[in-house]
Amino acid sequence: MAPKKNIIVKIDNLHKSYGAEEVLKGVSLDIYEGEVVILVGPSGTGKSTLLRCVNQLTTPDSGHVWVQDVELTDPNTNIDTARQHIGMVFQSFNLFNHLTALDNVMLGLLHVLKQDKEAAREKAMMELDRVGLANKYMNYPGQLSGGQKQRVAIARSLAMEPVVMLFDEPTSALDPELIGEVLEVMKTLALEGMTMLCVTHEIGFARDVSHRIVFMEHGDIVEQGPPKKILNNPDLPRTKQFLGKISSLH
Amino acid sequence: MNYIEYLTIALPKLADGLLISFRVTFVSLGIGMLIGIPAAFARVYGPKWMKNIVVVFIEVIRGTPVLVQLFLVYYGLPQFGVTFSAYTSAYIALGLNSGAYQTEYFRGAIQAISSGQMMAARSIGMTRLQAIRHVILPQAIRLVIPAWSNEVVSMIKISSILYLVAVPEMMTVAKELYAKYFNPFQTYITVGIVYLIIVGIITFLLGKVEKRLKIPGMELDNRSA
Repeated sequence: MAPKKNIIVKIDNLHKSYGAEEVLKGVSLDIYEGEVVILVGPSGTGKSTLLRCVNQLTTPDSGHVWVQDVELTDPNTNIDTARQHIGMVFQSFNLFNHLTALDNVMLGLLHVLKQDKEAAREKAMMELDRVGLANKYMNYPGQLSGGQKQRVAIARSLAMEPVVMLFDEPTSALDPELIGEVLEVMKTLALEGMTMLCVTHEIGFARDVSHRIVFMEHGDIVEQGPPKKILNNPDLPRTKQFLGKISSLH
Repeated sequence: MNYIEYLTIALPKLADGLLISFRVTFVSLGIGMLIGIPAAFARVYGPKWMKNIVVVFIEVIRGTPVLVQLFLVYYGLPQFGVTFSAYTSAYIALGLNSGAYQTEYFRGAIQAISSGQMMAARSIGMTRLQAIRHVILPQAIRLVIPAWSNEVVSMIKISSILYLVAVPEMMTVAKELYAKYFNPFQTYITVGIVYLIIVGIITFLLGKVEKRLKIPGMELDNRSA
């Protein structure tokens, strides 16, 4: 599905430093509705930081972020309300350990969206079904495989009906044989037209599913473009070198 | 009078004292928890000034004998016209004391929870308070039980110092008994055994609670290696 013309996420000139180290050096990026954008680059170049600045889990030092015309970097914006519709999937899953898969997905519906129990349960079961785990609804995170945990985590985000989904290396903590099931769910989401910003080294996924690959290095975007162009014929030798390195691993 | 005959007289009296020991222990533990849980969250998540207040509170309480704290409340404050009954003094001193220790136990439990739990909760739009209530606290309570059991046991034993402010708990009863029967050895051995049995029962019960609340799939097994 081709992305539409309207911008969902607008990132403008973000700066972030940890101590003396400048992690983001004025990054700007627009993401359109229905677009799947892949962030790649060597470790420590600020990809995860950039992702976390989008929903303000990390506060940037300067610059602006808008999600659907709401400025998240505006101190007057209620950040909790804004985050309700920005899904985030973490490398380490971060499922709520004391809750079953169903309760994990229901928690936000009950306490953030204030739905009643019946409606929340129905919605949560629907989302678990969407990631193929309706039969595991009574399992606790400790009773699920890594791939299943990550799919429940995706369902938890989807239940909130996000306008954009942020993926922070969603398959990096998984055993190789479990990566496929998570990518499959992500692929389905992309085909359904979900706007997605993914930090991942899954080049195959980037090639098949994404609309744009953004290559970051040393806290800035150095090259971006359609996957075909970036993967086969990038402008910068540095991009080619890096992608060649990670492609040989997959 | 042999020991068995003595027990038939002593045990009912000691039981009365024991009930009072329980009362003071559990009221103090309750006050301690009401202080400890918010203070622990304040120490972990609060602004700097709040953390500092909590740290000072903990260090002052832990750095001074509980007897000094009790005497300050019971004997010291009346000097400024603030007079509390023996019971109220006990609740204040032991409650504050337990509060300091429980703060540390809860802090340890909260810090044992991965920071990703809070991040995930915030990412779906929960406020920090909602995340604490629905995500962090339920896990912290499970993690705190082993350490908290220590606090219960230690509070029961600490309650014995209340005989020094004439609260009629078990040690006070014991003192009266041996003054009457001149048998300190039999009396204190009996009191010791009663404490031992009570502590054993409480440890057993809390172990049951811990098992009951255990999160399926998160058993700490294979720790033998």
